[in-house]
Amino acid sequence: MLRFILADLGRMKAGALVIVALVALAVALGVAVTLQERALRLGSARAADKFELVIGAPGSETQLVLSTVFLQPAALPLVGGDVLAALHDDPRVAWAAPVGFGDFHDGTPVIGTTARLISETAPGMAQGRMFATEGEAVAGALTGLAPGDEITPTHGELGNDHENVRYRITGRLAPTNTPWDRAIMVSIQSVWRVHGMAAGHDHAEDEAHGSFDPDAEGPRQSADHDNPESAAQHLVEGDGHGDLDSAEQEHAQDEGHGSFHPDATLPEYEDWHGAPGVPAILVKPATIADAYKLRQDYRAQEGTMAVFPAEVLTGLYATLGDARQVLAAVAAAAQALVAVALLLVTLTHVGQRRRQIGALRALGAPRGAIFAMVWGELFALAAAGIALGLGAGVLAARLLSAAIAQRQGFQLPVTLTTGDLAGLALLLALAALLSALPAWLAYRQPPVASLRG
Amino acid sequence: MLSLALTGVEVGFPGLDTPALNIPRLGVAAGGQLAIAGPSGSGKSTLVNVITGLERPGAGRVLWNGTDIARLSESARDRWRGANVGLVMQDFHLFPGLSALENVLLPARLARVADRALAARAAGLLAEVGLHRPAQKVETMSRGEMQRVAVARALLRRPGVIVADEPTASLDPVNGTAIGALLVGLARRSGATLIVVSHDPALIALLPRRLTLAGGVVHHDVTEPA
Repeated sequence: MLRFILADLGRMKAGALVIVALVALAVALGVAVTLQERALRLGSARAADKFELVIGAPGSETQLVLSTVFLQPAALPLVGGDVLAALHDDPRVAWAAPVGFGDFHDGTPVIGTTARLISETAPGMAQGRMFATEGEAVAGALTGLAPGDEITPTHGELGNDHENVRYRITGRLAPTNTPWDRAIMVSIQSVWRVHGMAAGHDHAEDEAHGSFDPDAEGPRQSADHDNPESAAQHLVEGDGHGDLDSAEQEHAQDEGHGSFHPDATLPEYEDWHGAPGVPAILVKPATIADAYKLRQDYRAQEGTMAVFPAEVLTGLYATLGDARQVLAAVAAAAQALVAVALLLVTLTHVGQRRRQIGALRALGAPRGAIFAMVWGELFALAAAGIALGLGAGVLAARLLSAAIAQRQGFQLPVTLTTGDLAGLALLLALAALLSALPAWLAYRQPPVASLRG
Repeated sequence: MLSLALTGVEVGFPGLDTPALNIPRLGVAAGGQLAIAGPSGSGKSTLVNVITGLERPGAGRVLWNGTDIARLSESARDRWRGANVGLVMQDFHLFPGLSALENVLLPARLARVADRALAARAAGLLAEVGLHRPAQKVETMSRGEMQRVAVARALLRRPGVIVADEPTASLDPVNGTAIGALLVGLARRSGATLIVVSHDPALIALLPRRLTLAGGVVHHDVTEPA
């Protein structure tokens, strides 16, 4: 029986291959949509895992999360340095760290933050050591940079170089599987200095009030400000100003970038009193209860906004889920179309084989065997298509994930659940049922048809 | 070794006033050899269908050794035919992609009766019909060889009756003569009743009894004295 089925399929190789390919494509579409959506959800949840509470200036909650967790460039308003100081002193806070973005190196974001944040969020150094001075930087796992490399940040993704500002990479982090793997981390103090807003600076007070409006200071707009994308982040209100602290004046003259001291050691203890503004503060609350209290407090407080990234992402997933449902419906419709087309093809096929089927009957093959043969042949094709489709779908999802990881730096783990397999089992059952229809027709075929045309 | 007795067999087709086949009485002795001839439309095929159980007559009895196959269910007739009838058809009905041996064994395998002994018999039969490469794929064979495979297949389960429907019609004269002689010889040796539908005079001449049909009724029934 098996030999006969194989010989029969071998005879119609091209047709059989087309059928398998059709089924495989339709199945792969559905599998890929399901897996990719889940991967996106899982991956972003993991990326946001370490970001329990983020505090920023009032604005879009979603943008705050996307910018902090996924490092999406955007112009965020600044939250005052006093907020950072208050959080640091708050007993409900395990630790709090500023996150300052807006500078890039070759398209890689340069993030100003603290050694504490890095050691709390990354599993450790893969190479080298943490930055210890303002001129040192730590590279994410996927930046392609190694200790000893030097970088010059540009202002905005396509903006001008911060001339004469050079960071030296002292260490490379172990992978976190988040977009931060594609970032370069420097001390927040150096970012403030590069942008001329170092602590104690007389502009610090101005910054602290929060919202930043580039147009309000029209005369100082530079070329890169004209491009809203490159103007991603502006910590930069002091840019080009000469009125710095006397100790920093010499640097200000030759750099025009605040007062960048590559060798200045970072303070041993974090003291944020009088600190300039930052776009986001990452907060690790001491307890879950504290997390909710903190969020409530900083929601209520004038000039601040507090979000749980996980909660914001859940909202996004809901939207994503709708899109997935639409895609899943499209995939299901494609599968139904393929099923109908195949049914038509196989019914025609059985009709064309009336003589052969009749001959088998005439030669003494029982009707059950005819049914089993036709059914087995069709089901084998469908099952092969479904199995191939599963493989192709998983592969497609993996490739897509890999491409996204390559570009965005965060992992989209492709995982199959028992639910998926149950779905495929259902599909198999459906294929078995549909295959039975032509098989039934063959079963009903009178054997007389075989003798003479 | 089956004897056939038809009584009152009538097969009609919807829309036709006269029946396609009308045979009040016809008997074939066990081991007998009968040729059926007649112009097309004379009811030859219908007669073959009726006596092999492929078609149920509208009326009458089809007794093979006393069993009325007209009263068997469709599945039972399939089983009966598989066990008792060796069928040889004009277009061979071999299945490409399978070897000669696999073709001989296919119906028995589908009926789940093929065992080691039957496989050995299949190989022996192939040798007996003059084929010495049982593993050869049938699609690579000549028409004469193909019909030999079909003859071997018909004989596999030691049928009591061999029914051949125009076995030589699609062969050249040389192969036709050879196949005719093979059929008659094998049937005689196995003792099986042989019924051949043919308009091939050379083949008809090999058989002692000749039946001529016309318009669904028996026109001539001649037996040559042995």
